[in-house]
Amino acid sequence: MPKSLSSLLLLAILACQLVLLATADSGFYSQNPAWLILLMACAVAASALLSRLTQLCESYPSKQAYIKPLIPGLFAFMLLLFWQSIVVGYAVSAVLLPAPSAIFSTLINNLPTLWTDFKQTYLKAVLSGYFIGCLSGFIVAQWAVKSAFLRKGLVPLGNFMSAIPIVGIAPIMVMWFGFDWQSKAAVIVVMTFFPMFINSLTGLQSCDAIHKDLMHTYAASKTQTFVKSQLPQALPFIFNALKLNSTLALIGAIVAEFFGTPIVGMGFRISTEVGRMNMDMVWATIVVAAIAGSLSYGALALLEKPLLFWHPSFRGNK
Amino acid sequence: MKKTILSLASGAALLAASFSGSAAEKLTLQLKWVTQAQFAGYYVALDKGYYKDLGIDLTIKPGGPDIAPAQVLAGGGADIVVDWLPSALATREKGLPLVNIGQIYGKSGMMLTCLKDSGIATPADFAGKTLGVWFFGNEYPFLSWMSKLGYSTAGGADGVTVLKQGFNVDPIFQGQADCVSTMTYNEYGQVLDGGLTPEELVLFKYEEEGVATLEDGLYVLEDSLKDPKKLDAYAKFLKATIKGWEWAAANPEDAGLIVLEYDDTGAQTEAHQIRMAKEVAKLLSNSDKGIGYLEPAAYERTVKILLDSESTPVITKQPEGAYTHVVFDAAAKL
Repeated sequence: MPKSLSSLLLLAILACQLVLLATADSGFYSQNPAWLILLMACAVAASALLSRLTQLCESYPSKQAYIKPLIPGLFAFMLLLFWQSIVVGYAVSAVLLPAPSAIFSTLINNLPTLWTDFKQTYLKAVLSGYFIGCLSGFIVAQWAVKSAFLRKGLVPLGNFMSAIPIVGIAPIMVMWFGFDWQSKAAVIVVMTFFPMFINSLTGLQSCDAIHKDLMHTYAASKTQTFVKSQLPQALPFIFNALKLNSTLALIGAIVAEFFGTPIVGMGFRISTEVGRMNMDMVWATIVVAAIAGSLSYGALALLEKPLLFWHPSFRGNK
Repeated sequence: MKKTILSLASGAALLAASFSGSAAEKLTLQLKWVTQAQFAGYYVALDKGYYKDLGIDLTIKPGGPDIAPAQVLAGGGADIVVDWLPSALATREKGLPLVNIGQIYGKSGMMLTCLKDSGIATPADFAGKTLGVWFFGNEYPFLSWMSKLGYSTAGGADGVTVLKQGFNVDPIFQGQADCVSTMTYNEYGQVLDGGLTPEELVLFKYEEEGVATLEDGLYVLEDSLKDPKKLDAYAKFLKATIKGWEWAAANPEDAGLIVLEYDDTGAQTEAHQIRMAKEVAKLLSNSDKGIGYLEPAAYERTVKILLDSESTPVITKQPEGAYTHVVFDAAAKL
């Protein structure tokens, strides 16, 4: 059989499952378990399609840019198809696990609410907390490079601080900074400061002695040495911390909102809607959080590329 | 060899016993909150063997801030849950058919505790103030009250600013809220322990404001009631539970101590539990038929309050079959 024809057949299997989902009543697997065979066939078809796509990717390097995103896309589609099929097919209560389609429609219908939550949690708390935490971590690290006193004092404290769970400091911050986003930003500052501090310190210290000597022979000023030699060499470490902190900050804000908030915010929404059994709304908020987290991580990765083009880890893969 | 045979034999005997030997019906009760005297009756009945006497092998699962009883019930983690009627009705409307089989509390213990200093004397003074409210399904009575008073909960000078209060009373001490939610049997005591005197406080009991909704009741899944064996077990459970509550109401001090024994966390204190047991006794259902009987009038009142809150609909339509007296009647005949 020609390859294109068999690919079409595989796609047809997936389409059959979609038609089944769209037309059958909920609970069709409990009534007629034979439908499960089609689901299994879908799994086989999807894995066959995945390997076909991988082959295509290798044989047409010029079209890689178009084919490559299809592979994780197909995989994600398969996961959603299974999720939807099992939930609908066995009529799983929405209180336990809502179907992806229900989550999607909730997401679309509640965009204004989700947007205000996003503004409160992400644009106010996360961004300011992240900015203050990372910047102060970097500044203190820069002082610590020069001062053995700060270095020796702060590094052990850093380990101590990173061992404190957020559930411990969140109520304290609420007590100090009030219920609004400021207390959440404070939690994020505490969470992000030390990863940034430790990473920047290691990065700034990693500067080769030979580079220092070279700058010295050029009669470079202290600022010039810092900007042209020390900082670029520390950048891989700093980006490491920035990426790590971008996820930490989001987690921190959401968890901190469990401990008292005005009635807005992603953490508030999750904790409240669980109590109201609106699980589709909880999942919709999780989707928003996941998208926000992925986007900030992606933005950092994009920023990293032009800044770190010279680094061995980037030089290789053009 | 002999040992192996012996252990195999004893193993087989145990297995057989677990299938046939124990006639006791296994039931699991999921509480709405942590182990405390709010649930004294269940622990008393367990401790005194009331459940065992009726052939019920009961397991009590404490709840907590992150446990939604209805979800545990839906997931098969419990047979019976303690929940409040507003959240049970909301859950029912979401498609999980909870049914009330017995109402333990006849009165609401919820109140809004305000600082006199904040200038609040009547509900008319709430405008522009900050009020602490519990969420996680406990916000419904508050939202309907505000709707009845005509306040927007979005803040501003004419509305009220709502704070999601953690499960403590800190905001009133930190000056972050003018009022906080309290239960007569729990957090109100914490406010007093924290150093505020009753003279410095103004209390608004939901019961007196006409917005009281039914609190601790017993809920099961509707389908399980169709099984006669299950129904029989529920009736036995309810009978023993009522007996436990009657004892707890008559002996609050001892009931508090019994609860303390079952608190694995060790977080509760003797004085606190005894006080709670005494306060809780005042809330128990005072219907002619005794504890556990759901008064249809009280049910209707709760439903009306919930339906009336226009701005934030808790439930949108009149619930059907959300309670039954079948189990109570069967228990009465035992």
